[in-house]
Amino acid sequence: MIRRIVELAASAVFVLWGAATLAFLAFRIIPGDPVDVMLGPLAQVSEATKDGIREELGLTRPPMEQYLDYLGGLLRGDLGESYQLRMPVTEVIGRQLAPTLQLTALALVIALALALAATLLARRGVARNIAMAAELVVLSSPVFWIGLVLLAVFAFGLGWFPVAGTRNPATIVLPAFTLALPVAALIAQVLRDGIDQAERQPFAQTVRARGAGPARVTFAHTLRHAGAGALTLAAYLVGSLLGGAVLVETVFARPGLGRVTLTAILDRDLPVVTGVIMLSALVFVIINTVVELVHPLIDPRLRMPRRARADATVAPPLVGERR
Amino acid sequence: MPASAVRRILPLAAFVAASALLLSACSAPAADTAAESDPDGEVVWAIEGANLAAGHMDPQISQLDVSGMVQRQVLDSLVFQEADGSFTPWLAEAWDVSEDGTTYTFQLRKDVTFHDGEPFDAAAVKANFDRIIDPDTVSAQAASMLGGEYYDGTEVLGEYEVAVSFTQPYAPFLQAASTAQLGFWSPKVIEEAGDQLKAGGPEVNVGTGPFVLTEYTPDQELVYTRNDDYAWGPHGEGAAGFETLRVEILPEASVRTGVVTSGEADLASNIPPSQVSELPEDVTVDTIEYPGLPYSLFLNEAYGVFADEKVRQAFARAIDVDAAVEEIYYGEFPRAWSVLSASTPGYDAEVEGTWAFDQDAANELLDEAGWTKRGDDGIRMKDGERLSAKWIAWTPVPDDRAALANAIQSDLAEVGFEVTRDELEPAQYNEQYGPKTFDITDWGFSGVDPDLLRSHLHSEGFQNASQVKDAEVDELLTEGLSAQDQADRDAVYKQIQEWNATYTAIVPLYTPSLITASNATVDGLAFDLYGRPLFYDVTVAAR
Repeated sequence: MIRRIVELAASAVFVLWGAATLAFLAFRIIPGDPVDVMLGPLAQVSEATKDGIREELGLTRPPMEQYLDYLGGLLRGDLGESYQLRMPVTEVIGRQLAPTLQLTALALVIALALALAATLLARRGVARNIAMAAELVVLSSPVFWIGLVLLAVFAFGLGWFPVAGTRNPATIVLPAFTLALPVAALIAQVLRDGIDQAERQPFAQTVRARGAGPARVTFAHTLRHAGAGALTLAAYLVGSLLGGAVLVETVFARPGLGRVTLTAILDRDLPVVTGVIMLSALVFVIINTVVELVHPLIDPRLRMPRRARADATVAPPLVGERR
Repeated sequence: MPASAVRRILPLAAFVAASALLLSACSAPAADTAAESDPDGEVVWAIEGANLAAGHMDPQISQLDVSGMVQRQVLDSLVFQEADGSFTPWLAEAWDVSEDGTTYTFQLRKDVTFHDGEPFDAAAVKANFDRIIDPDTVSAQAASMLGGEYYDGTEVLGEYEVAVSFTQPYAPFLQAASTAQLGFWSPKVIEEAGDQLKAGGPEVNVGTGPFVLTEYTPDQELVYTRNDDYAWGPHGEGAAGFETLRVEILPEASVRTGVVTSGEADLASNIPPSQVSELPEDVTVDTIEYPGLPYSLFLNEAYGVFADEKVRQAFARAIDVDAAVEEIYYGEFPRAWSVLSASTPGYDAEVEGTWAFDQDAANELLDEAGWTKRGDDGIRMKDGERLSAKWIAWTPVPDDRAALANAIQSDLAEVGFEVTRDELEPAQYNEQYGPKTFDITDWGFSGVDPDLLRSHLHSEGFQNASQVKDAEVDELLTEGLSAQDQADRDAVYKQIQEWNATYTAIVPLYTPSLITASNATVDGLAFDLYGRPLFYDVTVAAR
């Protein structure tokens, strides 16, 4: 167990270091003078002042020195100061983190609920075909457009939800649904496919032969099979929810990491971009760890210690034994 | 459930119908509107504002229009510019300009205080102007409005008397002093938290204005609350007629139109022309043309084919500007004829029609210029060289501008003139813009004082994309900068506008307008010369 934790920690550190290094390299490879980009179009700033900024940001020092300095800062947990806002990066990200997490979490819950409902309640017949068609339409529509349609119908038309503002917590509903719909559609497709496959396997036949009803077959057996694949996909999609929120944030005028990242990239605000990259890497590492820990709960085959599984390939008779 | 809803709505509907009847019976409702207004009410204002959160909350630093537009609620200026372009007292009760035009002496109001209780005095003016000009501030526009290299210093002559001097006569100063860019932050904030002003927030963006910034959620909303002590409005206005101004940042245009239509917002700015027709009848639409340099093409005469004046003239005459602008902007934006837009003081209407669309004239000019042969694809040739111009555009390019560019390219192809167009990321753009290795680039530049032409046409102008180097033009621009008398200045800019109509360094295309849509809930809305809403006399109906 300890060995496992050490392994996970080591791979996490490696992923974070890799992400940080790539971010650093990318910003040096793309062409153009960062200071000009930072100041934006039509800025009337003298060359002397621009040199001053370069000096202050340390852009004039040798790249290796900049890199070591940058890694040193990261090690101390110091992400630096935003070039644009002159605020610590932790603060820039911190003030946008809460709205993003709320939106992502709610979207994920809605997506999972919708996906489960679509696969379990519409197993056969016309309902199944309708659900599948709806999934296809949602998946092929741009998120941006889904958002505008939801706004036109539920906000401007029916007036059920306010569009913007921090006053009313109901403003989160439409953006969360917009974000959730495509994710729900994708998970539902994988889930349905998984259940179908599991139902065709011999063990399902055995379960039915033992007298289990359709509900027991689904909930105790086939859903578990399908759930393993859907879980991995959902974990992957959480990342895309975090990053892909930018369009939803723009349409619904919500603050959040997506818009911060977009502006930071456009303005070459390296410290902020690095901060976001490190955060994303960290989130992925955490999610993957959680998934690794959850998988054995769904799939009993993964519950055996490594040694036993390794031995099992040599001497197979003990397959399925529980401890 | 539906039944009970109907029951609830019925009396209301009856009441509304009855009041409508009553109202229509009155010939003049006149003073009644004042009685209905709510002094504790809230005005909701939807703006585009996508860039505000990227460090543009301080107009003393930012070059973006939106910065001055929202922070005007907090920032007052020394003088006020009236709709006719003249200047009236504001924070300065009176002012003098020295004989030689280099020193402006202001007598300040004595009763003005900042939101944090600091007094507004000569020292505060000095602290602000010194901060703007300080290279460490990295001001992208205000510093050059304050004269840039011509700024000599601000001197405190008495507690409420201050002199601003320049190294040479600087006529545009009063106009500059009337903008939010040269507005005043509390000296205490400049001292203690000057570097936080651009990121912005309550208790940081502290000024003398009619509203106090009380809440700021980046990328979402700004909440301004009435400054009850306010008594120094540009026309002597006191505290605002409503309690809260809530500014919602809605980057998506159709959403801004939606919130005005549904009544969630009282007014919305930056409505694109395409959305105007979608607004319901009872929404008021105010369209105010931006003063300054219209959206234009800059023909670089120091790089390729545009070295020849005839080619430049042919280029301008080959474009059917009227048709393209009418079509793309739904008739909301006027086409432009001059390097100054029609609402800019000093505009010369005589250049209108002087370079109208005329394919025959364009063909003739190109023939005269020696571009007589044609390639296989119909493009003109001379000495084995194609008549081709490279246009570089700064991304992101809005759809309307892309459509306009398409129209221009196809118009020119008809006279055998090829225009290639590259949409470039900022960094790539700068790589070509820096060494001026392009034929065409495009932008518009808003500003009330025609001196903005100096940066575009003076041989040392920092955004002289056409690379004009003409001693006579330089002299005229310098004269316009220093002439004391408005008539003299107008005469100078008239000459420059006529010069460009012939010389064709810049091809003006259309004048954008700031379009604001407002509901009947707000009353007394006024606009400054840039088309930005002013809330000094606004009242809002009780909800």
